[in-house]
Amino acid sequence: MAQIQERGSTHVYKVNKISKEEVDGMVARCVYEDPPFCSAACPLKLDARAFLQAAAAGSFKKALQLYEKIAPFPLILSAGCEAPCEGKCRLGEIGEGLAIREVERAVARFGEQSRLGGIFRTKKRRTVAVLGSGLFALLLAGELEKKAYPVTVLCEEPDEDAYLRAAAPFLDEEAFRLELKRLRGKDIQFAFSCRPDAALLEQTRQNTDVLCASWELTQRLCPGAVSIPELVFCEEERIVSGPTAGVMEAAFAAKKAALTVDRLVQNLDPRNTRGQEGAVESRLYTDLSEAKERSRVPVGEGYTKEEAVREAGRCIQCHCEECLKSCAYLKHYKKHPGLLAKEIYNNTQIIMGDHQLNKPMNACSLCGQCTVVCPNGFDMARVCHLARQNMVSTDKMPLAPHEFALLDMLFSNNEAFLARPQPGFETCKYVFFPGCQAAAIAPETVKAAYLDLCARLPGGVALMLGCCGAICDWAGRYEMEEQTRDFLDRELSKLGDPIVIAGCPSCKKELESHEGLQIVGVWDLLLEIGLPEGARGLDRPAALHDACGARGDARTQDAIRELARRMGCALTETPFDRDRSPCCGYGGLSAYANREVAGEMTEKCLERSDAPYISYCMACRDRFARQGRESRHILELCYGTDAGSPPDISEKRANRLRLKNELLQQLWLEEPMEKKLTYELLWTDEARRMMDERMILTDDVIAVLEGFRENGEAIEDEDGLLVARRRVGNATFWVKFEPAGEGYRVHRAWSHRMRVEKREG
Amino acid sequence: MAIEKNYYTIDPQGKLKCFKCGVPLIKGKAKFMYLDNGFPVELPVCPVCGFVYVPEELALGKVASVERALEDK
Repeated sequence: MAQIQERGSTHVYKVNKISKEEVDGMVARCVYEDPPFCSAACPLKLDARAFLQAAAAGSFKKALQLYEKIAPFPLILSAGCEAPCEGKCRLGEIGEGLAIREVERAVARFGEQSRLGGIFRTKKRRTVAVLGSGLFALLLAGELEKKAYPVTVLCEEPDEDAYLRAAAPFLDEEAFRLELKRLRGKDIQFAFSCRPDAALLEQTRQNTDVLCASWELTQRLCPGAVSIPELVFCEEERIVSGPTAGVMEAAFAAKKAALTVDRLVQNLDPRNTRGQEGAVESRLYTDLSEAKERSRVPVGEGYTKEEAVREAGRCIQCHCEECLKSCAYLKHYKKHPGLLAKEIYNNTQIIMGDHQLNKPMNACSLCGQCTVVCPNGFDMARVCHLARQNMVSTDKMPLAPHEFALLDMLFSNNEAFLARPQPGFETCKYVFFPGCQAAAIAPETVKAAYLDLCARLPGGVALMLGCCGAICDWAGRYEMEEQTRDFLDRELSKLGDPIVIAGCPSCKKELESHEGLQIVGVWDLLLEIGLPEGARGLDRPAALHDACGARGDARTQDAIRELARRMGCALTETPFDRDRSPCCGYGGLSAYANREVAGEMTEKCLERSDAPYISYCMACRDRFARQGRESRHILELCYGTDAGSPPDISEKRANRLRLKNELLQQLWLEEPMEKKLTYELLWTDEARRMMDERMILTDDVIAVLEGFRENGEAIEDEDGLLVARRRVGNATFWVKFEPAGEGYRVHRAWSHRMRVEKREG
Repeated sequence: MAIEKNYYTIDPQGKLKCFKCGVPLIKGKAKFMYLDNGFPVELPVCPVCGFVYVPEELALGKVASVERALEDK
């Protein structure tokens, strides 16, 4: 019996195979964290999505808090804002873009101001003074107050009223009243009626850490001063100041100036570590089909509260979740793929400690659906596949999640392997490669197909029963994949390097990586030579499930549809078909590594239609049938066979062996080496059920009983049942049984991977 | 002398019998080993042949969860 060596220790220190740069490049493709287009266009970086969401929910207080983050004086900004956000609103492409500025105005007017603004804040130690008046000076004082600097404004005006009027003469009386109240509520010290001259400038410079001034005053007191626009800073004069025109520019300049103040108080170069300032480009993708109301709420004299709520409610909250909509795996982990990919990469870098992302890494079906549905082609499969290979290369990959599948593959390519030329031929033009799952699930169909191909194709058709190597590829076991490739190449060479007729899209894909191998799908050949006699479709509409192995293979997808059409199948339309089709849960060994996620993948496939499913991958056929759905493989319809209810894990192995032995006897007249039990083996229903669930094979149970027959070692429990055990490969299997007639009746079976032995002392 | 720690203890209380030796199992010293890690335990053991019994509940419960934790190391 084939075995795989378990890693010897958890204490392994090796270097990794993938580079951070490579992963960063892949992660950058995910646009989930890109800002919505409105926010990206705003130089002040209003979180417009959250703002509109709050407004739509009628929470004007929360909306105002968000708006105040960019606007210390909301009514001033909303009065003069040029609203670059509105031009970028995606709704503008299918109707009228959102009237964001009007919503802002309504929020600024009706929103209740938060009372806690700054009372409990600890003031910064360093002081800032703002000389002069005007819009920039006012907004800068507001920005600095927000940052908790002790701010002093020195101006010519006699009081706040005059100061505000000088800064914002455009405000109507109501707005003026509200902003005056807001200004008085702010923790800003005023020195009114100052004479702005050189003496005041020098005196203020002496008394404060950073000096700011209106541009008008800077020019008057320091003629020829030059301000660096991106810093809003006159470097030579050490004055934070610069020219502005209009509300928007003044607000943006005040923001930049406040950041310059941050740098200066820390004695840092104001040019460094400023982050990304101003408007940016966004790559976010938005599904506009979610838009309901396409026309603006008419503005008139400005929105009432209700109108603003209605207009904000038109916002579709731009966000990209295209992959999460279609992929059960990403949905299960509730993470956008950029973040999950980053975490999975970090998981591969852990030398000591828990690899907590092993499960998500091994749960991906590697099906590539995300790459097709993602507007930017994000490739989660590549991330997970590389991560698995990396874990294998550093000897950190647990064997347990994949061992059953890998052993199954070794079984397919050893005990159950068969490679023979068609009787009467030494070498053949073709070789039929149905795939390990076809032989396991529908052996009669494989037999019928092979006999038909032999009868109708010239030049001889060899048969190869085995695994293509996809299993070890999915497990990240790249060395094993190489060995499998060499093995199959040698066997194909013995048959005269024939054209491979693949019966499974995943095999076709895997075999295409072999150099110089010519491959054709059995479906293509059947179209060419015509359907066999008796081929008949279902007599009721069916849903066609495209195999993930055929993603990007339009020729195969078309061929299957044409075969179905010729057999008279009425196919119903399903969402997510062809290249967008989801995986059934078998791909990437998900079903072995994470049964729960794989189950959700199967559900996702089946929720698309209530009709019977036709598939062209035997694993899909099997998983759908296991969920209780009527499920047929296209070859079953072509050959008028019915594989019936899905076999359990032991029957899958038995089917492969039986098919091999039958064909050996009937076609090649060879006597197969069959192991016959010399005693009878009976099972309780519960034993069969738990064996399937616990991945315990009939062969494992037989190994335990053979051991018992040799050494007589067992435990007798209270009910008089015997319990024997045996180490097989990397697991110890336990079987609870009783002698029955000429043999045994098995009641229960369980296993563990730990070794156990008696300890002295 | 250091106090010996056992990670798990099962006392068969005379309910299990070694089929080969025909004697009741007793609570005995055993150890689990996995991926270069070892855990001392007390399990039902045959005092004659040393057969160590791992009941189903233990295998599927504690043992399985420790296996998973070690596999992810």
